[in-house]
Amino acid sequence: MSSVRQYELIYITPPESTEEALAELHQQVAAVVERFGGSFEKTENWGRRRLAYEIGGFREGVYVLEVINGPAPLMAELERRLRVFDIVMRHMVVRVDEELAAAERARVRRKSNMAERRVRRGLPPEPTDSERKRHAEEDDDSEMGMDHMFRGGGDR
Amino acid sequence: MSYMEREGGGRGGGRGDAKKDDKEKGGRRGFFRRRRVCKFCVEKIDYINYKDVKLLAPFIPERGKIQPRRLSGVCALHQRALQTALKRARQIALVPYTTD
Repeated sequence: MSSVRQYELIYITPPESTEEALAELHQQVAAVVERFGGSFEKTENWGRRRLAYEIGGFREGVYVLEVINGPAPLMAELERRLRVFDIVMRHMVVRVDEELAAAERARVRRKSNMAERRVRRGLPPEPTDSERKRHAEEDDDSEMGMDHMFRGGGDR
Repeated sequence: MSYMEREGGGRGGGRGDAKKDDKEKGGRRGFFRRRRVCKFCVEKIDYINYKDVKLLAPFIPERGKIQPRRLSGVCALHQRALQTALKRARQIALVPYTTD
């Protein structure tokens, strides 16, 4: 039994591709996803964007992002199919669940560390609104001030 | 804290003026002094998203190469993450491989 993972699929189609063509392509993708028992987290159409370099004679392309939950064989099959479609100029699949989980862990750890430090100093675990405001103002300070402040933090 | 200062000074003054270990680090290289802090640490960005071109753009010099961290001041941990993000962004033409 293969486990469910989260993937991001991005594909680029030519700038003149029609709504119908995109809808059909999405249907094709959805069919594969369904067959393997996956699900869509979200679908985003970024619309026409300038490409950083020329792909197949085009300088612009329509970007579509699909975030898919599913097993690895699903993505393998999807990639194989995307390579066949002429309308897809470029595609990329990235597995994101582990990275996002790591980022979340880092966030939680930082938060709990901060709370711990604050409690040790006899402060409430969460910064109060007035403190937050003051810090926001301090961020606008000169470079020297910031340099000093962040060194003190040692958050590297 | 003293450790941090030594590190910053050593790196900044690496171009021939290592004796000058004061705040004027990098002073030889023109008048603008770079802040030697990691942008991602300061702004507490945990996940460097490859789709966020605005975030990545400052680390792509004119030529399109990935900026080394000795120039950008990014810490090793985040430079590694930044590197993969930039390489992914290149694959889907959000960021150039080269420009000329």
